[in-house]
Amino acid sequence: MLKLIIFKELREIILSTKFAATFGVCSLLIIMAFYTGIKNYQSSVQEYNASKAALFSQFETAKDWREVPRLTVFLPPNPLASLVMGISNDIGRAAVIYDSGYQAFRDSVYSVNPVFAVFRFLDLEFIFLIVLSLFAILFAFDAINGEKERGTLRLSFANSMPRATYIFGKITGSFLALALPLLIPVMTGLLLLPLMEVPLSVNEWIRLLIFIICGLLYLGVFLTLSVFISSITKRSSSSFLFLLIIWVCSVLIIPRAAVLLSGNLITVPSTSKIYYQRVQMQMNNIQELLKRANEQINKIAQEMAASGDTSPEAQKRYTDKMSEVYKNLQEENDKKISAYISRLHEERYNKQKQQERLALGISRISPATVFTLAATGLCGTSLELRNNYEEKVLTYSGIYSDFISGKQSQPAQDNIVKETVNPREIPDFYYQPKGFSDILKDALPDITILLVFNIILFCGAFIAFLRYDLR
Amino acid sequence: MTESINAGTNNTIVLEADKLTKRYEDGVLALDELSFTIKSSEIYAMLGANGAGKTTTINLFLNFIEPTSGEARVMGIVTHKEPLLAKEKLAFVSENVMLYQNFTAIQNLDYFAKLGGKKNYTRDDYRNVLLRVGLQEEAHNKRLKGFSKGMRQKCGIAIAILKDAPAILLDEPTSGLDPKAGYEFIQLLDNLRSEGKSILMSTHDIFRAREIADTVGIMNQGKLVMQAGRDELTDKDLEQLYMKYMAGHMEAAA
Repeated sequence: MLKLIIFKELREIILSTKFAATFGVCSLLIIMAFYTGIKNYQSSVQEYNASKAALFSQFETAKDWREVPRLTVFLPPNPLASLVMGISNDIGRAAVIYDSGYQAFRDSVYSVNPVFAVFRFLDLEFIFLIVLSLFAILFAFDAINGEKERGTLRLSFANSMPRATYIFGKITGSFLALALPLLIPVMTGLLLLPLMEVPLSVNEWIRLLIFIICGLLYLGVFLTLSVFISSITKRSSSSFLFLLIIWVCSVLIIPRAAVLLSGNLITVPSTSKIYYQRVQMQMNNIQELLKRANEQINKIAQEMAASGDTSPEAQKRYTDKMSEVYKNLQEENDKKISAYISRLHEERYNKQKQQERLALGISRISPATVFTLAATGLCGTSLELRNNYEEKVLTYSGIYSDFISGKQSQPAQDNIVKETVNPREIPDFYYQPKGFSDILKDALPDITILLVFNIILFCGAFIAFLRYDLR
Repeated sequence: MTESINAGTNNTIVLEADKLTKRYEDGVLALDELSFTIKSSEIYAMLGANGAGKTTTINLFLNFIEPTSGEARVMGIVTHKEPLLAKEKLAFVSENVMLYQNFTAIQNLDYFAKLGGKKNYTRDDYRNVLLRVGLQEEAHNKRLKGFSKGMRQKCGIAIAILKDAPAILLDEPTSGLDPKAGYEFIQLLDNLRSEGKSILMSTHDIFRAREIADTVGIMNQGKLVMQAGRDELTDKDLEQLYMKYMAGHMEAAA
């Protein structure tokens, strides 16, 4: 009987106009997302290679490593990022490294093409998050109360059919009917990847498949939610309205409200505030520094006067001593300021992390956030991308700094005809994304939450239907 | 059709209401110790105004609600104790049969026949039963979206016939049917009776009830206020009795 209900549900949906419309829209959007994603990836690869080549060419004229003041490193394109973009378009793809450290990232996709910042790209995450979740509601908002309105519920239950079988069949059938218009274009899109020569490793294929499973789980949440709401409301128009409100809250309001709330609860000092504090500290210190310098200089002057030795050697000795005092005080001051700035930055970083954790924690009550986090985590475009990239650039800037210091400390050979520097000697910048097990470990809590949402809502729909008034 | 009719002998009690009482949570007494029996090859027409308790009675037989006291029995099976078993012996046609609009008539029949446990019917069986209820052949493979109420009603009856249950419950089956469709429907009920089916029909249509029913029961405010055999009633009597009990027009009867 379960099979019969599932097939009936599947057949009823497939024969409906809404299915035809859904299938058409889904196919168009998904294949378009794959195609444009692949094209974007290919142009990113070209741009990446061109930028690297251009970087080397800029060293061609340099005769000495002292003429190489800075180096730009680039974030290599990630094929999965073209399908689930996450923050990959927001962060700068290039980081400029000086011998003293690195500057902020620059040349983000959106800064280069601001029009995309307004309209954003169409990617698989957007299609799942917005379009397909709405379709899930459209498929199931009248699953129970609609059947009652049409009179088919009474007619069905005039037969010896257990309620549990019916609701289980109904949810399963609706889910399959929803998965079908999704999986066919997704499979077509996946086929495009090797056909258009996008190099995906086994690990990336697996991550892509897990992402699709996450998408199905996310749709399952809205589907079971729709069946649940349909089981606790009398009219299909009411359930549609409730579901629309829940969708708006879940997809649009909760994630933004959570960020706002956490922003109000935890204040992160701005960079300009840190700069102001640094200037304040420097000004305060300079007074102190001058006072201490004067004291020590006076002491040396008194010492000099007391000794009565006015020979040039003695004068030089005292001048050196004074210079030493200045130098020591300056170094001490620099250390103090540097420690203070580090502490300010660390505090800012910790606050930022705290704020981020709080925002994500609150917004996880929304399945939309959970799905976004799981999807971007799996495709390597989550907030972790920036942290990971920053960490790698920091490590590399140390390596580069050592390299360039070593090169620049070599004595200049003025009497020898100089050859140009060999940029191949510069240590390579490797951006190693997180390993598969780490990515999976990070995404697992969100996948589990999606699963829990499904189980809870399925049980809710199940129990609500067992108590449903069939009359 | 491949399956045989499963009806009892003429004296078998197929449907039975025994002091059936239903009081809803809001305190409304919908049914007050209703008792009647329907034997095989018998049609029982329940007459009454809206809210008299007709649909509640049918809902109790279908176990859509549980009785406050008393029992509804189908072939001796107490419906609220063994609902799934009782429903195997019941077929049901509702007032406004809608069915699945995206399915054709045959697809609807196929689904509901299988749901009723009849898995061996062929397309020919479906065609035959649809022709029997008067649905023209060109409509058999059309989606129900464009069907009139009468055509849908015919499909509903075809579903009930296909279930081949000994008892059929009809909730206002003739409401909205044109006179021709109404006449054809009465003919069909007569045929079903002759096949041994027991039919409980709730209706407002006193003349059709008089025409087809073996027993007529008039309900008012949850009570069976009058019950009489067809031979005991003339059309005029029935109309007067109906007005008297249904609307409380005591003087009219006097």
